[in-house]
Amino acid sequence: MGIAWIVLISVSSNPVLGESGAQPGDVGRGRHVFFATGGCTCHTNLPGEGKDAPLLAGGRGLKTPFGVFYSTNITPDPETGIGDWSDADFMRAMREGLSPDGEHYFPVFPYTSFSGLTDQDLVDLRAYLASLPAIRRENRPPDAPFPFSWRATLAGWKWLNFEPVPLPDAPDRSEAWIRGRYLVTAAAHCGECHTPRTLTGGLDRSMWLAGSREGPEGELAPNITPDPKTGIGRWSVADLVWYLEMGIKPDGDDTQGLMAEVIEHGYSHLPKSDLEAIAVYLKALPAIEHDLRRE
Amino acid sequence: MRNAVPTFRSPRLFSRVITPGIVLVLVMGLAGSLQADGSMGGHADHHGSAEPHIQYRQAVMSGIGANMGAIASILKNRLSMPGHVAIHATMIADSARLIAPAFEKKVVEGPTDAKAAIWEDWKDFQEDIAKMEEAARNLAKAASGQDPAAVGPAVKALGKSCGGCHEEFRKPKEESYKNAAR
Ligand code: HEC
Ligand code: HEC
Repeated sequence: MGIAWIVLISVSSNPVLGESGAQPGDVGRGRHVFFATGGCTCHTNLPGEGKDAPLLAGGRGLKTPFGVFYSTNITPDPETGIGDWSDADFMRAMREGLSPDGEHYFPVFPYTSFSGLTDQDLVDLRAYLASLPAIRRENRPPDAPFPFSWRATLAGWKWLNFEPVPLPDAPDRSEAWIRGRYLVTAAAHCGECHTPRTLTGGLDRSMWLAGSREGPEGELAPNITPDPKTGIGRWSVADLVWYLEMGIKPDGDDTQGLMAEVIEHGYSHLPKSDLEAIAVYLKALPAIEHDLRRE
Repeated sequence: MRNAVPTFRSPRLFSRVITPGIVLVLVMGLAGSLQADGSMGGHADHHGSAEPHIQYRQAVMSGIGANMGAIASILKNRLSMPGHVAIHATMIADSARLIAPAFEKKVVEGPTDAKAAIWEDWKDFQEDIAKMEEAARNLAKAASGQDPAAVGPAVKALGKSCGGCHEEFRKPKEESYKNAAR
């Protein structure tokens, strides 16, 4: 099954890939990208169905200030999943939030961050996803009040809020910092949870990673800029690496909620060099004082 | 590296969506601010001194947390502290029998993150204590043994045993007394 998909992918006519010079998707590399995204755990309904929840088959309700949105089936099932998508469809969905039919995705799906992924990482991720078991499960419409439930509204939302992730050249930065920036802003999409949002739900980039009271599922995601009082200023690189590996904070406390999930199913499987790169990037961020208790 | 996939700003999309888009943005902005205001309801303000039982059980937990932090500190910084990991793990395991008596009296009001579920599912709570003790003894054994590769997974398992109880019986971060407005 997996092999069949890989073959399909590599023979699918794809002008986009031709231009970018990316090599055909590789399942092994794709697995690494998958872990870097945190294991796409939002697409597995762990809270609703527990450990037996069908892997990546969607249906997980994500509470936002705009209503409850349900994650989609990203298994290779051709009818209810993404099995019949081309690589170009996949790239467009990940980078522009557009379905193969040109419908807009609700921005709970973090294409705002994934827009920064390289062509190679995207085709590799696609190859990995295609190698997983196909599960049949219909997608579920959101429980959100008008106008948030209306896909057409999203055109306006995008016009207002969506800017593909800027990753300009940074010749004076270390290799670790550049890798860390890529992982944090694009693949691992830390900012989607840890950056507060504007009233219309876009990321408030002036408060990049300064913490949010209303992360997905209404969870509080702490300030992870190096502010010593309200952020992670007192955490060392070793503290951060250990945290992303083990989910244990410097004070010995454990991790809850979505962060525990993205660590367990994603980040903890990354090579140490990637975790160090993330830590180096975080420690070099401008410190923003943002006390989430006082809001 | 990035390719020339047309973005939503491309002329094709622009003409199709932008005019209705602008109207909708205004609508969303309005509705968004209403929602945001509506959900800003007052947070309980937990000043005042802790009730003694709350204080004690939190001190027990903090002690366990301190030992966990010490184990982490040794391992992540590769400190040479022969025998220490096993001692800290044993202290956590020995603290297990403090937990049930410390939590026995039902006190849910005040600066506490204990959920009422503790006293409704007392048996589950005790099972979680036993799981933590077992995981801590396993770590002590791994840390005293010959196989350093066994230590990491044992720490992870111990961390999961904390999380297993916290997930069920401790309030999430956003409801924590620690994050209440001051
Ligand atoms: C799906 C949402 C989500 C994503 C993605 C996410 N986080 Fe988190 N993060 C959280 C939440 C929620 C918490 C609070 C968990 C807790 O304290 O139990 C948290 C906690 C943390 C903490 C602990 C901070 C503290 O002061 O206790 C750090 C450090 C952190 N995250 C770093 C990261 C990094 C780095 C990334 C990307 C590689 C990331 N997070 C991605 C939601 C997320
Ligand atoms: C049997 C359930 C249980 C187990 C096992 C458990 N805890 Fe807790 N823990 C709690 C509860 C309940 C609270 C909230 C207590 C309160 O606020 O009254 C808590 C609170 C804490 C706190 C915060 C204390 C404070 O000052 O507010 C820390 C730190 C902590 N636990 C660490 C740990 C660590 C580390 C482990 C594992 C080695 C662990 N706990 C295992 C139930 C448990």
